Amino acid sequence: MKSRMDSRTSRSGVSIAITAGLLLAAGVAIAVAPTEETMGVAQRILYIHVSVAWLGLTGFLVMAGCAVAYLFRRNLGWDHWAQSAGELGWVCCTLTLITGSLWARAAWGTWWTWEPRLLTAFILWALYSGYLLIRGLIGDSHHRARLSAVVAILGALDVPLVVMATRWFRGIHPVAPSMEPSMRIALLLSVAALTSLFAILFACRRTQIRIEHLMPQLENQIDRSLNSTARPSPTTMSHV
Amino acid sequence: MSISIASIEMRGLSKALGDRLILDGVDVRLHCGECVALTGDNGCGKTTLLRCMAAQMRPTGGEVCWFGKNVIDAALKRRIGMVSHESRLDPHLTIRENLIFAGRMCSVSRPGLRADHWLDVCGMSARADHRPKQLSRGMCQRISIARSLIHEPEIVVLDEPFSGLDAFGTKWLHNLLRERTAGERTVVFSTHDPLCAESLAGRVLHLADGRLQEAGLAATARYSCPANEAA
Amino acid sequence: MTTGLWWMMSKDLLCEISGKRSWPSMMLLGIVVAVVFALQAQLPQEQRNQMCGVLLWVTILFAGLLGIDRSCSSEQDDGCWEALLAYPVSPAAVYWSKLLVNVLSLTLLEILLIPAFGTFAGVRILNPIAAIVPLTFAANFGIAALGTLLSALTNRLGLSGQLLAVLVLPLMIPVILAAAEGTRLIALGRIDEEWWRWFQFLIGFALIFVTVGSILFEFVVEE
Repeated sequence: MKSRMDSRTSRSGVSIAITAGLLLAAGVAIAVAPTEETMGVAQRILYIHVSVAWLGLTGFLVMAGCAVAYLFRRNLGWDHWAQSAGELGWVCCTLTLITGSLWARAAWGTWWTWEPRLLTAFILWALYSGYLLIRGLIGDSHHRARLSAVVAILGALDVPLVVMATRWFRGIHPVAPSMEPSMRIALLLSVAALTSLFAILFACRRTQIRIEHLMPQLENQIDRSLNSTARPSPTTMSHV
Repeated sequence: MSISIASIEMRGLSKALGDRLILDGVDVRLHCGECVALTGDNGCGKTTLLRCMAAQMRPTGGEVCWFGKNVIDAALKRRIGMVSHESRLDPHLTIRENLIFAGRMCSVSRPGLRADHWLDVCGMSARADHRPKQLSRGMCQRISIARSLIHEPEIVVLDEPFSGLDAFGTKWLHNLLRERTAGERTVVFSTHDPLCAESLAGRVLHLADGRLQEAGLAATARYSCPANEAA
Repeated sequence: MTTGLWWMMSKDLLCEISGKRSWPSMMLLGIVVAVVFALQAQLPQEQRNQMCGVLLWVTILFAGLLGIDRSCSSEQDDGCWEALLAYPVSPAAVYWSKLLVNVLSLTLLEILLIPAFGTFAGVRILNPIAAIVPLTFAANFGIAALGTLLSALTNRLGLSGQLLAVLVLPLMIPVILAAAEGTRLIALGRIDEEWWRWFQFLIGFALIFVTVGSILFEFVVEE
């Protein structure tokens, strides 16, 4: 009882800390960081855009890492982590494209341009979508884990392209735009706060997935024990 | 019958398909020269067990060994032949080409001659240039059996091999399997026919609830089967 | 491994030549799409040279996927995958046999398509031939490496037609982009440092995905 209360207390503490971090990051981004000369208020989208872009990439690497771990260990726990990373990564990638479009409209006067880094960010989103699509089509848990792991690993090989895009291809996307120190602090705080939020959601979603996986097994066990109490079981010899 | 080496050994074998546990901790040792019949109700997991035994399915837990070696080594597959209850012949090749391909893949010398020999054994020489779709199910089954034996494997696993065979085909397969066991080869087959199991196998194993039960020596014991219980 | 690989390749080639399963439709689709693209490209020479690369490689991709998909879907007929995997060959050998047959299919497609496209669109992409040949060869390995693996995956699910393009196209974009840029530079007569960069990119892409495909194929076909 005491350990359950302790864990509930620590979970509340973590939630409060993350909420405080998000509020702090939002406050610094809105109120403290100065308004950029050229783009004005629209520049502040960058604080979310960079954070979710970084999480979209990280999510994919985490997903691929868990996929590799599953293929080696064949423990469905790793697949649950991979699924959690895939779902959250997809959300982050979608937000990257949306915030990127908003920023592009303000900066370049167009909602979209076929610039290499934007293109590879779209590829990443499509890979996430393919991964989730595959998962939705397969019923058997190990089969699903195995095939989606293959897709995740293939997709992860695309991630370096996203990171290196501005070095390998010429494009108009800013690589490391010059920023005032307060802007840099706001950016770092946003990245830290959203990363913490991602981490907690990652763990929570994984727990949810694990429970969803265990439920049918528990139901089967209950059915089996009810059936076995209803009639005597045949004598079995496990070793022949 | 030589007892010392287990030609097939399965330790703690389990296999889950979806949320259903098909095999639950199966342990079995089969020795060289044994002929074993596997029986069980429809859907009890006989095909799954045989496919795991033949390394065509990866078990969820436990391991399968042939001649003391883990079956992960692909080259070991040369020592086993598996007959599924579907013929699995390539529909784009003639039956002779199917046999030659199998012989080549198993590094058989003179696969053409060997294929012709087996077509003769099957009584299908006249239809050597036919494609599987031009043949009956029983004929395809015979060719499938020939394909699994063309490289003279030491272990033969057959999944309901008598299904689809007429009286002549059944007798033909009966004699073929007797020959295999006489040559110190291990034969495992699944069947729904208790008479067939009793007449051919030296040992009968019954699969139920994911576990194997020893149904005893075929000559002296009756295994649990609805037909027998009714009698 | 090489013996089994050779026999599997020869089986696939024999089936293709005798049965004419996919090559004719692949070639026809390629020609038709090439003509459609060429009809649209009623542009000045300079713009045609700029666009020819991407139009050509999109054509090759769509036509080539037809053949690649068929190489794996044919094994789905009557449980032939299980029979093939039961032989004493490693899954990597099966992958390599399918990969090499697919590379050959793409090469045959391009032997027909590239001169035809060059003629219809009025662009000089065969000159010098020493540039277009290695470029297409490297691109073919990249396309076939990914296509073979994902075709096997989608065929095992029984959903090849619907799913293959969805999975393959995002992954193929880098190789199509590189091949298209390389072809564009050939049409512009610029076999320079930039062209070499794209060529090296294709080589690297092919090496990575052929290696990874050989390793991952076993997990795709496993039961």
